[in-house]
Amino acid sequence: MKQVKRMLRMHRIFVTQELKRMMEYKGDFIVGIIGFLLGQFFNLLFLWIIFSQIPNLMGWTLEQILFIYGFSLIPKGLDHLLFDNLWSIGHFTVRKGDFDKYLTRPINTLFHVMVEKLQIDAFGELIMGIALICISVPSVSIEWSVSKVLLTIAVIPFATMIYVGIKTATAAIAFWTKRSGNITYMFYMFNDFAKYPVTIYNNVVRNIITYIIPFAFTAFYPAKYILTGDNPLFNIGMTVLLSIIIMFIGVIVWNKGVKAYESVGS
Amino acid sequence: MISVNNLRKEFKKTIKEPGLIGSFKSLFHPKCEKVVAVNDISFEVPKGEILGFIGPNGAGKSTVIKMLTGILTPTSGTCTINGKNPSENRKSYVKEIGVVFGQRTQLWWDLPLRETYGVLKEIYEVPDDRYHKQMAFLNEVLELDSFITSPVRTLSLGQRMRADIAASLLHSPKVLFLDEPTIGLDVVVKDNIRKAIEHINKQEKTTVILTTHDLADIELLSKRIVMIDKGSNMFDGTISELKSKYGQIRELNFETDAKDIEQILNYKQHFGFNDDDIKIEKEANNVTVKFNSNAVPVSDMLSYTLDKINISDISVKDADIEEIIRRLYKQGV
Repeated sequence: MKQVKRMLRMHRIFVTQELKRMMEYKGDFIVGIIGFLLGQFFNLLFLWIIFSQIPNLMGWTLEQILFIYGFSLIPKGLDHLLFDNLWSIGHFTVRKGDFDKYLTRPINTLFHVMVEKLQIDAFGELIMGIALICISVPSVSIEWSVSKVLLTIAVIPFATMIYVGIKTATAAIAFWTKRSGNITYMFYMFNDFAKYPVTIYNNVVRNIITYIIPFAFTAFYPAKYILTGDNPLFNIGMTVLLSIIIMFIGVIVWNKGVKAYESVGS
Repeated sequence: MISVNNLRKEFKKTIKEPGLIGSFKSLFHPKCEKVVAVNDISFEVPKGEILGFIGPNGAGKSTVIKMLTGILTPTSGTCTINGKNPSENRKSYVKEIGVVFGQRTQLWWDLPLRETYGVLKEIYEVPDDRYHKQMAFLNEVLELDSFITSPVRTLSLGQRMRADIAASLLHSPKVLFLDEPTIGLDVVVKDNIRKAIEHINKQEKTTVILTTHDLADIELLSKRIVMIDKGSNMFDGTISELKSKYGQIRELNFETDAKDIEQILNYKQHFGFNDDDIKIEKEANNVTVKFNSNAVPVSDMLSYTLDKINISDISVKDADIEEIIRRLYKQGV
């Protein structure tokens, strides 16, 4: 408990530091905000154009697809907002020897890396996700119950953890190979499939994104449960189970990687 | 307090043939070679000592320091500080140490310096009163006041180094690792930093392990040195031991108006010196003769020289540490 309290406190401190850092460069900060608002506007426009041409996809209505799409952006956005710094591990932190710093400090290295940066661009994804959900909910006729509301809220951190676990494991490969950004990228490519109902894909793709790189559990399966109330044990239970397994693998690979870290000459 | 036992580090190195084709080949059939960077090094450092840790470039100094600071995991062997071992419990180990790598910074690059200390206070869980006391002390010793509100990116190298040293001492570590703390600094700043290190060592009884290529750092700060080369211990002892063991080199300085002194004073032939054992430098009328006093006693050199030529002023000097180290680095032991 004390540990958790300390972690939350450290998290708050790093986030404050990061916000101060962004404010230090005011021009960049303001232009960044304007940029992402514009970007999101065009994204929405594009989505609307595409989906208004497809009224029905393998039994899913336009509104349901919008809901799944919107829901997929929430875990994705949270991962992007809070845990984006893991990318830099695979791209340059290990290769340049900058990982030394984390090892000389008395905090868990993975935690330190995760909380150090905040990626505010992610608010774009989050805002758009929420907007899409709000737009679609009135027309998809969901039967709400207390347990459904609770499960919906509870599943979001687990869905996010699927992203974080995959990113942790693939970033940690850099401890051996010095560079693994492209490996992480390759895995992340599959999350584009997760925005749409998996039933539209062939068996190979469906099995990959369900059982191997289970991005389907970050969006489609939980969203399916919310929309239809079907099979919560699989749709929600597997999300929780798989996310824990993946994060566990990620942490193990990370810890082994840290031991194999070679730093650089100086 | 610090005890290093048979510390060893091996790296795997992929051998590539030159060029793009070589790189391509190694992608599919990598050839690996084992490189021993640190080969069974052992030494102990008692509390409160300033240890000079030296060696030529590529000797394995940084690898040793990185194992001692918990960055690298040793292939075998252990290092402990007060019984704590970084491989077993890194987090509690690193609370006992402070680290400054002269060529890197741990400060928050984009923010005013003060912000860095605020975060480090939290990371190391320094209580408020201790923090204020320590900050006041560091402020006094390292004179941070004039730039503590400036963003780190605007600091000069000397200011940044002082700031980095302060950052490493905020949690009052028992051991301070300084890896080239005076690299690239001017004489005055170097002096200030040396004084600060000395002050901190006296006041806080902080054990200091200092790596540097500037031997003045070592001469002014540390009584004892550990020298390594090619990953192995080369020398471990006090500076005076080093001088008495390897300091056979003496310097004979005199002034003369004689020309062709090399021919008149044919030391090499007369005494049968080896090439390495004697060196003559001449600058106008000032002559410096560096020679190995084990091969020929000082008195013999003196009487022979006085016999041969007219001399107006003469002195004999102990070898300076720089000369000894130069010879050691060049030839090994």
